[in-house]
Amino acid sequence: MFSRGFWVIVKREVKRFMFLYKQTLLPSVISSGLYIIVFGAAMGSRIGEIKGVEYIHFIIPGLVMMSVINPAYQNSSSSIMQAKFLRFIEDILITPLSGLEISLSYIIGGTVRGVVNGALVLLLGYFLTGLQIDNWLLTFVYLFAVAWAFAGAGVIVGIYAKSWDSIMVITNFFFMPLIFLGGVFYSIEMLPEFWRNFSMVNPLYWMINGLRYATLGIAETSHELSLGISIIFAIFFSTLASFMFSKGYRIKT
Amino acid sequence: MKPALEVKNLRKVYEGGLEALKGINLSIPQGSFYGLLGPNGAGKTTTIGIITGLVNITGGSASVLGFDSVTEFRQARKLIGLSPQELNFDVFFSIGELLELQAGYYGLSNKEAKERTTIMLEQFGLSEKRNSRARELSGGMKRRVQIAKALVHDPKIVILDEPTAGVDIELRHMLWNYLRKINEEGKTILLTTHYIEEAEQLCETVSIINDGKIIATDSPDKLTQAHGMSGLEITLTSEVADLTLDPWTYNNIDGKIHVNMNHPEKEMAKVINQILEQGGGIENVQIYKSSLEDVFLKLTGKSLHEKDEKFETQEALLNV
Ligand SMILES: Nc1ncnc2c1ncn2[C@@H]1O[C@H](COP(=O)(O)OP(=O)(O)OP(=O)(O)O)[C@@H](O)[C@H]1O
Ligand SMILES: [Mg+2]
Repeated sequence: MFSRGFWVIVKREVKRFMFLYKQTLLPSVISSGLYIIVFGAAMGSRIGEIKGVEYIHFIIPGLVMMSVINPAYQNSSSSIMQAKFLRFIEDILITPLSGLEISLSYIIGGTVRGVVNGALVLLLGYFLTGLQIDNWLLTFVYLFAVAWAFAGAGVIVGIYAKSWDSIMVITNFFFMPLIFLGGVFYSIEMLPEFWRNFSMVNPLYWMINGLRYATLGIAETSHELSLGISIIFAIFFSTLASFMFSKGYRIKT
Repeated sequence: MKPALEVKNLRKVYEGGLEALKGINLSIPQGSFYGLLGPNGAGKTTTIGIITGLVNITGGSASVLGFDSVTEFRQARKLIGLSPQELNFDVFFSIGELLELQAGYYGLSNKEAKERTTIMLEQFGLSEKRNSRARELSGGMKRRVQIAKALVHDPKIVILDEPTAGVDIELRHMLWNYLRKINEEGKTILLTTHYIEEAEQLCETVSIINDGKIIATDSPDKLTQAHGMSGLEITLTSEVADLTLDPWTYNNIDGKIHVNMNHPEKEMAKVINQILEQGGGIENVQIYKSSLEDVFLKLTGKSLHEKDEKFETQEALLNV
């Protein structure tokens, strides 16, 4: 189904973030390391165990999700924004590649970055805290589905955005609050009822909950529902992104 | 034989309501060297954008060797290489990588892409710059990379949107020779330009576009014959009463005879003979000929480019 040109864009996307590794790979490793040390090690001893898991391990799946979501989103959104801004997106638009192929290649590029970042944080978790992964396959499925979903969201924002600001606005005003409120650092069972119900409509809560089940084997709520929500988001965002690309919305005049 | 590029009743209304193309028709034969001339904002880049898939079509159709540019875009776009008017480079890569990527987007294998890139860099005198970034190159070099990018996948049809904008005379002549060569080797070329000399030198056929409409299409020679003015200006030493110049008519302005004709260089001897036979004495004979630039000015009411003494128009003579 996909032509060679499609894989060349994917390769280009991966090369781009590898080239920019100081901005694209290191930050999430450093910030996750700090969270593990500050929250996990310093506060973990006070908090004790949650659902039979050490606190320092409990927070890692949320940190991994943070390192999957933001980089995956940022990769596709900034790459498209830049290509639009400097007009070299035209070099791709004039080729025989379809809007679907172009959009998917950007999504895969972002997905690879998200998965690599997530894997690096898991590795860090292993070195700093001796984390053992319960279900490797399911862990990978989560990293992949969530990275895919947010790389898709990145394509949509990249197409839509007229400035760099709008890209950062989404990270700062949507993703970060939703990640923090999604129970990275606490179990929602620790919350009052109102906030517990609020968490239930936060898709990021479900994604974090699902990854926690995959890596640690504990879940606060249905892990099947978590998987379903992650996959539905991945399908929804990538379909919308590809539709927009095919129509040439804000990309063609 | 199918035309290389064909545009039928093409219309474009941009968001906001500006009607950039008001139903244009073009048929560009395979192997031809075709020019699209028009003042700023006439719709040249828009037309090219629709053919190449950068601009959404409002009405009409465009096709490439018979393939519709919308419904059969894959086949259509494979056949075309485009050098956009505005320089656009992928900033993360060197010149060499950039060309390899471009070839790859068109489906060439790694090996083919590398080979084609090497050939392009050689042909454009950029081999030493293979590992440089675009921002490290001079304007003229960037323009060469831009054109190389259009050719790297060896397309049958090459569209060049003002390929010589901002390059010096020497490079312009080098590019002209190069384009002539690849045209002779079989590539169809569609070119837009603001340099009339470029169109006169290179193009077999020229379409003049103004305000979203094609207002004339023909070879540069025929266009100047049809819309321009040429003839002889003869200064007499002695006036002749009732001079007749069969089959021409003439004006006598301040003792100078102006005779309009299509091929003054061919007819000059006949005219001179007639004057001498009727007892006239001739002091001086001058040929005047309008250029494509004059034709352009007459048809569009606009000059094609910023004044440039090298291509000074012959407005003065046209006004006699
Ligand atoms: N993206 C756009 N949105 C709205 N109007 C546009 C857009 N692009 C071009 N136009 C308008 O369409 C008309 C035709 O523009 P176009 O770029 O095709 O002209 P052109 O013949 O290439 O001119 P030039 O010689 O200056 O390059 C102009 O009036 C221009 O302002
Ligand atoms: Mg233009």
